[in-house]
Amino acid sequence: MLAAVWSELTRLRQPRLLVTWFGLTTLFAVMINTIMITFVSGGGSMPPGAPGVAFPTLAELESPSGLLSGLAAASSMFGMVTLSIWAVVTAGDYGSGLIRLLVAAEPRRWRLLAGKVVALVILTAAATTVAALVNVLAVMPAAGAAGISTAAWGTDLVAVVAGAWVNLFLALCVWGVLGLVIATLARSAAVAIAIGVGYVLVVESIVKMLKDVPSDWLLGTILNAVAGGGTATIAYGTALALAIGCVTLGLVVAGAVFVRRDVTD
Amino acid sequence: MPVVTTTELTRRFGPITALDRLTVELPAAGVIGLVGPNGSGKSTLIRILLGLIRPTAGSATVLGSAISSPARYASRVGVLVESPAFIPGLSARANLVSLARLRRLPLARVDAVLAQVGLMGRDREPVKRFSLGMKQRLGIAAALLSDPELLILDEPTNGLDPAGIVEIRELLRELGREGRTVIVSSHQLSEIEAVCDHLVVIRFGELIFSGPMAEMMKRTREHIDIAAEHAADMDRLEAALLAGGWAVTAVDDVLRVAAAADRAADLNRAATAAGITLNRLIVAQDNLEEIFLEMTGRVDGELANGRAAANGKVA
Repeated sequence: MLAAVWSELTRLRQPRLLVTWFGLTTLFAVMINTIMITFVSGGGSMPPGAPGVAFPTLAELESPSGLLSGLAAASSMFGMVTLSIWAVVTAGDYGSGLIRLLVAAEPRRWRLLAGKVVALVILTAAATTVAALVNVLAVMPAAGAAGISTAAWGTDLVAVVAGAWVNLFLALCVWGVLGLVIATLARSAAVAIAIGVGYVLVVESIVKMLKDVPSDWLLGTILNAVAGGGTATIAYGTALALAIGCVTLGLVVAGAVFVRRDVTD
Repeated sequence: MPVVTTTELTRRFGPITALDRLTVELPAAGVIGLVGPNGSGKSTLIRILLGLIRPTAGSATVLGSAISSPARYASRVGVLVESPAFIPGLSARANLVSLARLRRLPLARVDAVLAQVGLMGRDREPVKRFSLGMKQRLGIAAALLSDPELLILDEPTNGLDPAGIVEIRELLRELGREGRTVIVSSHQLSEIEAVCDHLVVIRFGELIFSGPMAEMMKRTREHIDIAAEHAADMDRLEAALLAGGWAVTAVDDVLRVAAAADRAADLNRAATAAGITLNRLIVAQDNLEEIFLEMTGRVDGELANGRAAANGKVA
């Protein structure tokens, strides 16, 4: 399987793909941190059902974990970027016809799929690192300008950074697998992105606005909980278990389809 | 041992039968031409042999291994299926390196195949800047990467200029002489005639012919192409010849008469007797294209699709 991973990593070294991925990650990290600091320092609070973004309170922002609270706040945005990139990479093999060469070269298709997942997980780790670095670089001057106390931000720095990084990384991997699964089923990046992003921005938002509907168990909400280390309504362990369940189910479905389906593209 | 065997190989796509109980053996070594009208089932056969799609019924072997286990022979087979497929944003070299890594091959093979297809020097350019012909060369390079015993090339000269076609023709001949088996699917029948040692003709998913090219060319016959001095006389000339018992077909601006060279004088006399002066009388031999068209019923690929679909077959 290492050969498949190495091969996929070689194909992922596309300048445009990497610039898009890391560029959008940087953009969202800067944007969300700037908005978050402005919003929280101005005494604002999030309306219920706001799509995709959950800002901390002022007290949370000034706590040791406040340094990286932008990561959790922007996790849905990062998630949509990750979903889109994984979908583009997966569906691109079908669109270009490369899938014919790959399957002819490595007929054990599960190896190809596993190689792609592992390679994309490695790049997702890199994107998570970019997000964390940009978050730190963006939040410090923004907090200083807004008069937010940053005195506690150095406390337990390694644990805070590692925890925030791992949580965001796990959430992004689930987003990515979701993109891979939909792209494998649809063999189209556009369809996969439309379904993924549309679900988060439209379906979940509508459901959240409806009273008497348990919105805590929606995928986007669960992944926000994973990225944020848990929420008031969903414990971190529960959210993580649900996310792992989703990933497992998604990979089983994608694997079964990919291994059995005719390559006619 | 045959390099490929198929037994009653059948593939249906819903109501359409793309391959219909195809039984054929392809000999090892040499260049084998796989021809048939558009949609005759050539691509379906190639995809089944490569493990890309599964047959509905029947069985097949490639290099002695059943197609149900393509992993057993994949490393010994090089392929160019339909159009060459690469990542446009990556260089030619990076595309080949990714395939070499997937096949666990030494990266020195990348240099070797790039040199073999004449792309050394352009190998660091993104594939998106390549012409169709260069992409085709890169596709052949990818097929040669594993130094395979069996090469399956679908339309390898597609998009190449005349010089490129000659170059690839020489490459195919050389590969065949090296002891490899090269299966070439092509619509360029002149290319097939020029390079192939063995020929397989498929139509509507059924085998029409499989055998040495020499055996196929034995079917060639001489014919005589004639034309009247005045175009207005062509209909009268055709009628006179038909009345005289000649087998005549109108082809473009000439009448093609099925007759050997020694009947040329008789033909000229027949025209003169009808009061018509000939300004063209050319004795020629049927080529593979003529035989192919006769065997496949001179069907147009697109029209045949409709007709065959009505019969429940891909045309």
